[in-house]
Amino acid sequence: MGDVLILGEVKEGSLNIRTLELLGGGKKLADDLGVGLSVLLMGDAVSAVAEQAASYGPDRVYKLEHPLLKGFCADLWLASLEQACKKINPKIVLLNHSLIGMELGPRLACRLNTRLTTDCIDLSIDSEDGLLLRTKPVSGGNAISVFKCPGEPQLATVRGKVFDPAEAAGGKGEIVDMVPEIDESMIKVESIKVVEEEIVALDKADVVISGGAGLGDEDGFEILQDLSKALNKSFGNVMIGCTRVAVDKGWISSDHQVGLTGTMISPDIYVAVGISGAIQHLVGMIQSKKIIAINTDSGCNMFNVADYGIVEDYEKVVPALVKRLEELS
Amino acid sequence: MKELGIIVCAKQIPDPEAPLSDVSVNAENMEVVVDAPPVISPFDENALEVALQIKEELGAKVTVLSMGKKVSDTVLRKSLAAGADELILLQDDAFEKLDSHSIASALAGAIRKIGEFDLVLTGRQAGDWDSGQVGLILGEILGLPCISLAREIKIEDGSVLVKKNISEGYEQVRAKMPALVTVSNEVGELRYISRTKMLKMLRGVGSIPSWSAEDLGVSLETLEKMGIMVLSSPPNMGRDCQFIEGTPDEIADKLAAVFKSLR
Amino acid sequence: MTPYRNTFWQIENVWFFYALAALATGIFLAGMVAHICVWKKSARSLEVSFSWEALKRTILDTLLGRRVLLGEIAAGIMHLFLFWGFLSLLIGTAILCVHEWFFPFLKGTIYIVFSLTMEVGGIMFLVGIIWALIRRYIQRVPRLERRLEDALVPVLLLLVALSGFILEGLRLASHHPVWGVWSFVGGWMSAPFSAVTAEALYPYLWWGHVLLSLCFIAVIPFTKLFHIVGSPASIYFQGSGKPVTLDAEEETGEFDLGDSIFFDACMRCGRCVEVCPSAGAGEPFSPRDFVQAMHRDLWQEHSPLGDIRFLSRGEKIEVDDKFWYCTTCRACLEVCPIYGAAFEAVMKKRASAVEDGTNVPKLMNQTLEKLFRYDNPWESSKKNRGAWAEGMGLVDLAKRDAEVDLCYFVGCTTSFDDTAQGIALSFSKILQSAGINFGILGKKEPCCGDIARRAGELGLFVEQKEKCLDLFDKYDITDVVTSSPHCFHTFQNEYPDAPFRARHYTLVLRELIADGKLRFKNGVEAVITYHDPCYLGRYNRIFDEPREIIRSIPGVRLVEMAHYGADSLCCGGGGGRMWQELDGEVKMSHVRIMEAEASGAQILVTACPLCRIMLEDACKVAGLNESLRVMDLNELVLQALEV
Repeated sequence: MGDVLILGEVKEGSLNIRTLELLGGGKKLADDLGVGLSVLLMGDAVSAVAEQAASYGPDRVYKLEHPLLKGFCADLWLASLEQACKKINPKIVLLNHSLIGMELGPRLACRLNTRLTTDCIDLSIDSEDGLLLRTKPVSGGNAISVFKCPGEPQLATVRGKVFDPAEAAGGKGEIVDMVPEIDESMIKVESIKVVEEEIVALDKADVVISGGAGLGDEDGFEILQDLSKALNKSFGNVMIGCTRVAVDKGWISSDHQVGLTGTMISPDIYVAVGISGAIQHLVGMIQSKKIIAINTDSGCNMFNVADYGIVEDYEKVVPALVKRLEELS
Repeated sequence: MKELGIIVCAKQIPDPEAPLSDVSVNAENMEVVVDAPPVISPFDENALEVALQIKEELGAKVTVLSMGKKVSDTVLRKSLAAGADELILLQDDAFEKLDSHSIASALAGAIRKIGEFDLVLTGRQAGDWDSGQVGLILGEILGLPCISLAREIKIEDGSVLVKKNISEGYEQVRAKMPALVTVSNEVGELRYISRTKMLKMLRGVGSIPSWSAEDLGVSLETLEKMGIMVLSSPPNMGRDCQFIEGTPDEIADKLAAVFKSLR
Repeated sequence: MTPYRNTFWQIENVWFFYALAALATGIFLAGMVAHICVWKKSARSLEVSFSWEALKRTILDTLLGRRVLLGEIAAGIMHLFLFWGFLSLLIGTAILCVHEWFFPFLKGTIYIVFSLTMEVGGIMFLVGIIWALIRRYIQRVPRLERRLEDALVPVLLLLVALSGFILEGLRLASHHPVWGVWSFVGGWMSAPFSAVTAEALYPYLWWGHVLLSLCFIAVIPFTKLFHIVGSPASIYFQGSGKPVTLDAEEETGEFDLGDSIFFDACMRCGRCVEVCPSAGAGEPFSPRDFVQAMHRDLWQEHSPLGDIRFLSRGEKIEVDDKFWYCTTCRACLEVCPIYGAAFEAVMKKRASAVEDGTNVPKLMNQTLEKLFRYDNPWESSKKNRGAWAEGMGLVDLAKRDAEVDLCYFVGCTTSFDDTAQGIALSFSKILQSAGINFGILGKKEPCCGDIARRAGELGLFVEQKEKCLDLFDKYDITDVVTSSPHCFHTFQNEYPDAPFRARHYTLVLRELIADGKLRFKNGVEAVITYHDPCYLGRYNRIFDEPREIIRSIPGVRLVEMAHYGADSLCCGGGGGRMWQELDGEVKMSHVRIMEAEASGAQILVTACPLCRIMLEDACKVAGLNESLRVMDLNELVLQALEV
């Protein structure tokens, strides 16, 4: 049919924000190509979510329900997705660059004998041949590359916050039921247990206060914590982030890490304390709406990307700021 | 019980630690030029460390595969100095700028040529193109159980037990070997290799086997290049920084006002 | 009546005594053989060079207890009492043996002198033991441990001494010889006994005394008493004070005879713990524990029976990777009575960790990797090494074929760290103003290898050394001045037969001042204290020169901190600690900065880039930067020139 097909991800019974973004981005590509937009949902019970997806105005919502699709088992999800793609024959398939997308993407590409580009930050259609132009940061963010690959479907995983999320539309897409042909024998990797850890969901934060090597020691994070508490009163979700160096030094756990091998974030306010601004860190936070940098080294790279800069010792400024914020509240 | 066979795929890349001033983009040749000596990609080093730990615990033969147009013997010998048993270089002019699928096919050819193995380990992604595909595609081509983003790997009764990263924490999974696992940095950094060990390995006799595309039985037509259309420096991320000056208290006042305005 | 003594008065079956004595001696000798076997097995070479110097030192230190007196006079006097008391009793017993077996001569005046000496020796011994027990268990001197062995050994000695005196008392009580007055302690002891009781009790007590004494001899090799033999050996082997030089051979990183003797002779006095800056900052490292662990490993490795010190066998000492905490500040060696260089042993232990590879902390691993790849521990690039000198108009020796008199070896930290760059800038300006024709190596300058050496990466150290030597040779460099005491120490002491002269800048500054090439115009009105960098002070005994320079600046009042000179406290940046992240209760630099504050100084001057960075950070963290400034000596001198 030559649709643009996106794989939906469900969180707590509804489509997650990343899926809405894909819907938004997918819609544009579909319009450019003059084809339809479809959403594919997998799970043991996804009827309600399928209804929700339909309300965002795609042309079709493919619903793959199967008891074995409960939870995420890569082998079964992959098999189902492969079968669905072969039936639907989409022109473009988009996945989130989430842990699920990162795992399914390459394997799906191999099975469909097509080429994937991961972690795209922009997608467009080459008007000449209708192929997907996939823009992706490479070399740790030191360069941006645009790839074009042959094969069908055109396959990409997309980084979060690249597209604006779709708005609920009046139109209602058709819900198509599909039954994946899967059974337990397809499970090559058996799940034994899932252990939930308290993970800092940095990408959910409205304000992130990050510390780097310039903090001097792990006690520095206590000062940042004070600021976090003070800001909490007037801003929703304030969290503590850090650079890789701070993790390497053992000052803070790695789930706080912002950047290429940590979390990619774009909060409303990003406060960088004692961070020099290595590229691997910058790529993770550069999308922040406002950036405030505090560093004693006036020449450091962080000031080049910041909206506000303070060249002063954070151990003086931050406590004073905390005091001031508390007085104001 | 026969000895475990572990294959580690390790890529040579320019040092990702190089400071910004040493990195430039050559748009014409579509290359990122890093003025720093090459290293083994950090996640691949993590994979090698896991392999060595398994070797120490259970005994295993660790074979390192490294592929490229030209692979530096001196860089990759580090893996031998660290304790790998065998290093095989996959070198061919045709291996330049290949796409992930073609790299995986060539690696698969090499692994089939090696024959017996129980575990293939790769890094979760390489530090040059940050694609994160080769490992999983390789697993698919070889028809192996694939596990991605491992933070801990154990071997038990012919199975590999892995703690893999998931968004909520980690998932404990198990797969029958042979299997393929992509490794994340949580498994731990590659052990330190002293200069004496390294020198011994560099001066040590014995040349490193090098296989070409032909040796691997890979026909050149099936190898596809990465379809790079444009390579550019990242857009100027710079913003006009407004510096807030004064005594700490004055700065605090002004900053508090900034926060208020952003609320 | 001639004064005399019947050695075996009232004793039957004297043969049994000799049998027991032979047994005790046998056990003693067997133990000694075990020690020597372990030493031999651990030695790389059995060639022991004879040195009069070492022998003289050993004799003097042992007899006068010089190293024990050092630092804690009370402990020293106590030890002298024990030592001389013990020695006179030992010699006395030997003389008695000669008297009994070869020619009896202890008669008359000779006997009285003999008896009196023994009496005084006994008293000294007794006083020593009681004093030792008081120090450990009542006064509870903090550095002393209270293990089972620490109680049993002095109690045994106490019993030997007491039983000896009571025995003498019993003998006097029975005989009441006129010369008894010379044995005054025995005389007092005799008071409660009648002649009959004394006579009846005497044999029992005699055997008791004999058993205790023989027991004492027998357990020497098996308890901390072994230090009686081990310490002089350690003083002989370890006390040369010469820095350990290394060559490319692999075994240089392994323990050798001297180390083994030191580990074996250590009797846990804890002086090293008291001065160790790491232990003092509440970090988990303790030189004593480290040495004890090495002692245990030594015996486990080289003795089939394991540690023969049976009382300490069950003790658990975990070293794992704590030896990465040591800053190699050398303070432990300053105070060790047997010249034990725990920090040298630490470096050897690190060398084996580096060879093994798995026990190298992550940051150290990265630092060494960076050092190898980019010739510095700071940045993954060589390019910015000379960046600080831009616009200074300095001669780059590697660029132009320039003739200069002096090569300024800037060093990694001074080249790359923003704070430390002040040292390079000010020193260059000083040299320029003094009209010195000097140059730097710019981008080409390698690392001297100090960090590699301290981290036990000996292969890398040798490579760095060769790099430096080749470069100096290439550019005909024969006179080198360094910013860092670390580079200076490495060049001076760890590049054997280096064909160039190396000096730390303090020596150059002092010379320039003495020659009148630097004149202070207005001076600095300030109270200043000086922090001795370990590698300048303790390692190279340069204590006075920097102080002379400071004093020569008009207006300056120099005060000292609580610890200074050889007693100075480490800033916490040496031994590779600068590039590691290891935590204690406080930072060493904080301890030091508080001392600086207490001294009343307005400026804390130091002469090392690492100290400069560590102390400045600590000063900021402690919130003292309003009242206390941290400066490098160069920065101070330049200020005095410019003002």
